[in-house]
Amino acid sequence: MPVIVTHGLKGGAGTTFTAAHIAMALSEAGADVTVLTVAKRDTMPLHFGLQPAMTLPSLFAPAEDAVLVAGIDLRSLTTAPEDNDFVPALRDLGFLETGQDKVMVIDIPSAEFAFARRVIPHASASVCVINAAPDTLALMPQVLAEASPENIAATSFVINALDETRRLSRHSSAFIRELVGARLLGRIRLDESVPEAIAMLQQLSKYAPSSAALADAKAIGTALVPALETPGRPWVARGSSPASSSSRAA
Amino acid sequence: MRIDARNLLDRLGKNDFAYKEFEDRFSELELWPILEALLRDPRLQAIDQAEATVAAMPEPAPTEVVETYSGESLSSLFSRYGRGPAADAPGDRRGGSQQQDVRAMLRHLSDLGSQGKI
Repeated sequence: MPVIVTHGLKGGAGTTFTAAHIAMALSEAGADVTVLTVAKRDTMPLHFGLQPAMTLPSLFAPAEDAVLVAGIDLRSLTTAPEDNDFVPALRDLGFLETGQDKVMVIDIPSAEFAFARRVIPHASASVCVINAAPDTLALMPQVLAEASPENIAATSFVINALDETRRLSRHSSAFIRELVGARLLGRIRLDESVPEAIAMLQQLSKYAPSSAALADAKAIGTALVPALETPGRPWVARGSSPASSSSRAA
Repeated sequence: MRIDARNLLDRLGKNDFAYKEFEDRFSELELWPILEALLRDPRLQAIDQAEATVAAMPEPAPTEVVETYSGESLSSLFSRYGRGPAADAPGDRRGGSQQQDVRAMLRHLSDLGSQGKI
């Protein structure tokens, strides 16, 4: 019952979108997935096509209160960042073990970086979502200096909302690729259908099945499947040969 | 997706669409000062330490990772670009930032892009 953590360097990177689609990809791969959001201002329901007024039930709420979308159990626990017993509670609930029978994807807002640091050592994968943008790049040295070597080593990266038509975005993306190397899981292209799906109160897969961002996010989620077999030892991306790339621009 | 875009993709027999990556000649473009500043920040060394930690970890199950990667750590990247003392003394490559050949790195990125490796 592994835990996968998604987090970011700064707000607006698309961490919640990425977490939602990782959960969907793992669910499609056969995992029993719970999504846990710890954000006090939560947009997770929107990525599942739910109403904006939806409030997700607590992680500890009974099963009859569950909100299930496509078999994914959506939960909230806004007190988790301040709760020192959160990790033991996860263990008591049966997470932090191996296999696909029960998987938790925890979406952590960028402001809760201290909480992320506590959870990452217990996660099967830590996914840092970043934008190929200069303000994000500027934060990298500070974040790297603050994080432990173990947590840095345990983290894989995703570039979200990449606009390959823009020169600075391409340069920034190339810089990130060289910086994080093999631990770059992939990139998700900027795609207007993502906010459009939210505005339509539909899941992206329903609103725009051919969405480029959907395909990219699904590929990243699928690439994380091996992480489900590494409980207590974070799985990290190790890159691949150029020939095996599947996400090059057409 | 707009219906006209959908129709175009249908005619092209594609599900999605992205621009080809332009073959930027970094060396011919003005440098972005922020990239140069970041390359000179010693705190980026933490990535190198993490790479060593990852390398020491047991190999996980094979998987296809979405992105391409040249297979080099940042340290090897810099040692290869370096000119003079920076190339000879890896431990000093960012401390001796004046020797840092940022333009060479960007030229290398351009080459990787033109070869379809990034």
